[in-house]
Amino acid sequence: MTFSSLGHLLPELILLTGACALLIVGLTRFAKTPSALSLLAGGMIAGALVATLLIGIPAEVGDLPGLALSPLTFYVRWLTLTVGLLLILLNWRQAEPSEQGEYLALILFAMLGILLTASASDVVVLFFAIELVSVPTYILVALSRRDVRASEAAVKYFFLGALSAALLAYGLGFLYGASGTTSLASMAGVWASRLQPASIAGADMLVLIGFLLAFAGLSFKIAAVPFHAYVADVYEGAASPVTALLGFVPKLAGFIALIRIMETVHWQLPASVMWLIWIVAALTMTVGNVLGLLQTNVKRMLAYSSIAHSGYLLLALLVGPALGAGPMSNGVTALLFYIAVYGVMNLGAFAALSSFQRGDRTLETLDDLSGLARSQPWPALALSVCAFSLMGFPPTAGFLGKLYIFSGAFSLAPDHAFRMPLIVLAVIGVINSAIGAAYYLRIVGACWMNRPREEVASVPGMTERLGLNIAGLAMLVLFVAPGPLLTKARIGAASQARSRSSSIATAVDPGPRGSATSAETSLAAHEP
Amino acid sequence: MTAWILTLVIASPLVGAALLLLPRAENRRVIERIALWGSLVTLLLTVVAAVLFFRHPTDGGFALKLAASWLGGTGEGADLREAGNPLAGAGIDVAYRVGVDGISIWLLLLTAFLTPLALASSFTAIRERVREYYILLLLLEVGMLGVFCSLDLLLFYVFFEFTLVPLYFLIGIWGGPEKRKAANKFFIYTLGGSVLTFAGVLFTAYYAYAHGAGKFTLNIEELMRLARGGAFPPNVQWWVFLALAAGFAIKVPLFPLHTWLPLAHTEAPTAGSVILAGVLLKLGTYGFCRLSIPLLPDASRAWAPALAVLAIAGIIYTALAAWVQRDVKKLIAYSSVSHLGFCILGLFSMKLAGMNGAVMYMVNHGLSTGALFLVVGCVYERYHTREFDKLGGLARRMPVAAFFLIVFTLSSIGLPGLNGFVGEFLVLLGAATSNQVTDGLAAGPLGFSYAAAAAVGIILGAVYMLYMCGRVLFGPLVEPAHTPDTSHGLSHDLTRREVGILAPIALACLLLGVYPKPMLSSIQSAAQANVFQPIEVRQASAGALGDAAPFVAMGSEIGIPMLAVAQQEGPPATVAAGADDLEWVTSARFVPQEHDSP
Repeated sequence: MTFSSLGHLLPELILLTGACALLIVGLTRFAKTPSALSLLAGGMIAGALVATLLIGIPAEVGDLPGLALSPLTFYVRWLTLTVGLLLILLNWRQAEPSEQGEYLALILFAMLGILLTASASDVVVLFFAIELVSVPTYILVALSRRDVRASEAAVKYFFLGALSAALLAYGLGFLYGASGTTSLASMAGVWASRLQPASIAGADMLVLIGFLLAFAGLSFKIAAVPFHAYVADVYEGAASPVTALLGFVPKLAGFIALIRIMETVHWQLPASVMWLIWIVAALTMTVGNVLGLLQTNVKRMLAYSSIAHSGYLLLALLVGPALGAGPMSNGVTALLFYIAVYGVMNLGAFAALSSFQRGDRTLETLDDLSGLARSQPWPALALSVCAFSLMGFPPTAGFLGKLYIFSGAFSLAPDHAFRMPLIVLAVIGVINSAIGAAYYLRIVGACWMNRPREEVASVPGMTERLGLNIAGLAMLVLFVAPGPLLTKARIGAASQARSRSSSIATAVDPGPRGSATSAETSLAAHEP
Repeated sequence: MTAWILTLVIASPLVGAALLLLPRAENRRVIERIALWGSLVTLLLTVVAAVLFFRHPTDGGFALKLAASWLGGTGEGADLREAGNPLAGAGIDVAYRVGVDGISIWLLLLTAFLTPLALASSFTAIRERVREYYILLLLLEVGMLGVFCSLDLLLFYVFFEFTLVPLYFLIGIWGGPEKRKAANKFFIYTLGGSVLTFAGVLFTAYYAYAHGAGKFTLNIEELMRLARGGAFPPNVQWWVFLALAAGFAIKVPLFPLHTWLPLAHTEAPTAGSVILAGVLLKLGTYGFCRLSIPLLPDASRAWAPALAVLAIAGIIYTALAAWVQRDVKKLIAYSSVSHLGFCILGLFSMKLAGMNGAVMYMVNHGLSTGALFLVVGCVYERYHTREFDKLGGLARRMPVAAFFLIVFTLSSIGLPGLNGFVGEFLVLLGAATSNQVTDGLAAGPLGFSYAAAAAVGIILGAVYMLYMCGRVLFGPLVEPAHTPDTSHGLSHDLTRREVGILAPIALACLLLGVYPKPMLSSIQSAAQANVFQPIEVRQASAGALGDAAPFVAMGSEIGIPMLAVAQQEGPPATVAAGADDLEWVTSARFVPQEHDSP
């Protein structure tokens, strides 16, 4: 590694520096100045964002051991840091003043983990990156409030998370065993050259076992059925600003890791595994939405909503970077677009909960939201926009997100073997959107139609409300002009399309430079 | 100007809604005035659009068109090529695309006409959260106008769905005692259907793309062109029709999916009911005639008998249900379901006469049922009840209201001379002649027995509507205690404001009943150009020309170059004989007041 190649990791380095600086400054007298630490954290993230935009889509750098930069890296950097700024707004003064330094540093560490997940080129680095996302979130849950429920949630989350980490590590171990290499690109190369056609169909059981274990481990992170049981309790236990983070950070990391692993098997899975993921996706949507109907606590409701949304995203993952008839979006584009939209709208909903309080606690139940529109019409409107967006209702970005996901499912080539099951899954998905609408409507209904019990009080400070307003506005703006985000998502997904097309063309060069470059050569051979 | 006029029409209520945010205090007078003037500006713009539309004859095609890039377009392709995406070459054609034809222009006018009246009817009825109320009504207008102007499937769907939101709030906030239940049922029910419509829309576009469209397009005109070229095989159409119909049939609503409607109507505030019955239900029938029939002609034929049977079952069942209601508003709600059954019957007769009748029926029903809800609203404001048992002999107390109630009742049951008759007659004519080769269109799937069964519904309709009028208006005067309520500037009989609301509708009913020709001719040319497949003209012209002939004569009478193919090929003798047989049809159709009943 040379010094100049480190420049390509500037966003990561800025986050790391920022996190360490926060740990240190948090111990000094500086920390007593209100907002100083939050400003520092926000500034560091903004700096990393500027660096990301300056670097743009990173060029291939050969001498970064364990890391390979790709268009996907750029998308994930950009997305994580943008949503990260909103998360800092929400968490502006959530922690105890004495713990603020550690608290914000942990958020930065978790974001660093996502960035590394997107650029890891080695299963060991990938595993560590995922853990770098997970461990801070366990602590954040515990730190988020002085409440026995928060501690309980943290313990639950930690033990299940540790189990999932073990599963993931075990799975990645099998993948190493099956390929003889820890490099993701080399793995892809080994399997492409060993298997004709490029598919793990009927191939080593080792690869299958490894893939399934890794999938199970990551299913905890993305909260897919049957690994979803902890979600509602953890969401309820943690303070709302942290819950907003839990809805986005682990999910993004989990899906990015899944994309990276799918890449190694060239997005070609045997039918039995496809069906397995199909069933998981269908169950995840349905269980999430149906259980969501039963909740009266908004945070639990949003927890089940988070599960349901993982189901939609799994549908997009199943579609993958299909080179079928789909110009509108392929699965990975849809996934990247929707996870961005989901992160913001979900964050908006939690921002609304943490912007107001009844008595000494922030809003939690439907009853707490009663009549919010009477006293606070604009925040109630922003919350309603986010709820309609979660529902997938026009004119919000959530609608476009669902549009891209479901149209992706229709986009497989007519002769694709898994086309009909995916169309059926898309229909299950749209029916689920209608089921889900029932509980999101209860949130909207509580705000606008219930009689207020008593006036809600704004929490001191405006940052949560600022986050809420930005989220609500973003949902409307992204509906009218999705172009910029969509183009970024397309570029991010393009490397996946190339990695798959390269496997089809079977011209694979398992060099250390990663699948993205090897695909460059095969692109010419690809027929659309 | 010509290109932008529809966009101005759609955006103008939005401007009105934004202006409503300006007044600082909840000053009812000011807010009401802004809302009313805003919607009147929309009406004015719509009239301008209509004038522009009719001044430039289009042979039935779409006019006043405008397209602007929205999702995709050429710009993004370049970015993708840079990123090396193999999909970069593929064109995406999903745009903001608006335009109107001879069918949608009338529904557009109906929307713009009813909204100011609905707004004005709320001045005394709505006394709390006034600002939000009028903003929502104007947003609702945006959604409805948008649906009728959309020439892009996605835009259509977006507006179609968006109409749910304002009405959900209107029912849920200002509704009756069961408002929450009604609002939720309305929302979930309609959403449940329309998500399937959404899946159907996407599937259609992808199917067209995968089978030779060359680009991914949701352009309705483009898809119609593809459908005419036979891009969608019948087995695909069968499923897509089912998916599209799920949303439209719930919206119409078609029996047995109608259960949300009486509840929503009963609980909705008056203006909500007026808009719901007047325009929103037409979104379903409009969807059938704008999308299902033109895009999926084979499946429409295959499904037509089933839909017609449901429509007739609905006509009769809901007419009987209306008869036994004790609540005037509920009775009118059930009558709505019954009436819209006729629309479906007309649409799926697959005949020009039926299509003409169905579209005219949509407008008629919007006027007369909307007006009935307005009159009932006036009564309710004074008596705080709508139950038969507590009301009676009101003609003595409020003669003007009684006059209007009777006019609209007669319009609704199809008295010749008023608008209802023309639509009803043409629907039945279309259904009855459906299995013959008329209009140069191939024999349709329905037949005389369908028309006969539906006619029973007309009789029942007259029975329950007149029964309602008799109970409420005549006999001894019955009023609940402490009523009529004459607070808030109300008088015993209708105020000048209320007369001003109802009189234009009555006038429109009369006008359309006496002189429906302009409306029918524009609907007919649009139906020929945009709904039915002209290819069938050629198919049909070979065989049974005799049946087609009278309509040839009729077509030339109203000045449409209709059935040129048939005219050229047909032996003149057959034309003459056919024209004699059905001469009464031709005359009855355009001079309806001379004939009492079919």
